[in-house]
Amino acid sequence: MKNSFDEKILEEANDWLNANQKVVLATVIQTWGSSPRQVGSRMIVNEKGDFSGSVSGGCVESAVVRECIGLIKDNKPCKKIEFKVSNESAWEVGLACGGEIAVYLEKIN
Amino acid sequence: MKHSQLKEIIKKKASKIEFAIVTNLENGLSEIYEPGKSLSKEFEIYKQQIDNFFKLKKNGVIENTEIFIETYVRPIKVIIVGAVHIAQYLVDFAKSLNFEISIIDPRGYFASEQRFPDMKIINKWPDEAFKEIETNENSALIALTHDPKIDDPALQYALNKKFYYIGALGSKKTHENRCQRLKDAGFNSDQINSIHGPIGIKLGGRSAPEIALSIIAQLVSETYKK
Repeated sequence: MKNSFDEKILEEANDWLNANQKVVLATVIQTWGSSPRQVGSRMIVNEKGDFSGSVSGGCVESAVVRECIGLIKDNKPCKKIEFKVSNESAWEVGLACGGEIAVYLEKIN
Repeated sequence: MKHSQLKEIIKKKASKIEFAIVTNLENGLSEIYEPGKSLSKEFEIYKQQIDNFFKLKKNGVIENTEIFIETYVRPIKVIIVGAVHIAQYLVDFAKSLNFEISIIDPRGYFASEQRFPDMKIINKWPDEAFKEIETNENSALIALTHDPKIDDPALQYALNKKFYYIGALGSKKTHENRCQRLKDAGFNSDQINSIHGPIGIKLGGRSAPEIALSIIAQLVSETYKK
């Protein structure tokens, strides 16, 4: 049976919007290999870069925040980004776990 | 997504309606799907696949498309019998895990609002109390009074209704006596053995929050076994 574990991110997004913040919702839409968070996991980001929730185990959140701030400034309503296994030789963002995830970003307005 | 749609989703979640959010990942359009209701032209052609995802309670992208579906299922109902100390911690755990809790306790002094703020407590004997709760095979029972007068009727009700999880607090000896009483009442050994007693996974702790943790861990584990 699927449980309905719910991190109340959408409710928090609503609170942020009611406080006149700009909000981008990030959702894990696909995973390959051993990714830390399952499809449907969510995170919200505002124009200041505050965030709540998660789309990985802390591996790619900083990059997602940057992308979300970029989207707020942009004209587009949404964007899809993918993260793959990290390259050990760089400070590059990636998934140390060896998985891959696709994250969908959408503005709420 | 529009803010108005977000508000509608939150409302549907609060009213425990099962639904799905369907999103076109290319253009950002999204819509709320409910079984039996029609979809807009944008999503109508994917109706069959959306239905399938919904039936399987699955989240994901429909193969070879840019359509993402996220399904929302109703919270699992957990009935706690006994508004005791452990129940106070169970309520806290259940909140973060999104279980829907009802507490039954005919003893008014236990079931006070001060001990359980914002909590639905049914201050009646189990036979009467269960008339107020809609239950099915996806419901769970946690019996905590270890008083046969209160626990036994609740256990019998849960067994008859085939709850997926039934647990009862009490020592091995208490549980043996309980099993004997259920046998005398006509329940077979399969039914009796399905009761988790003594309740909870072995953590070693004895304090109220530790016992609550061991119970909730067992409940989550059994949820995924089903």
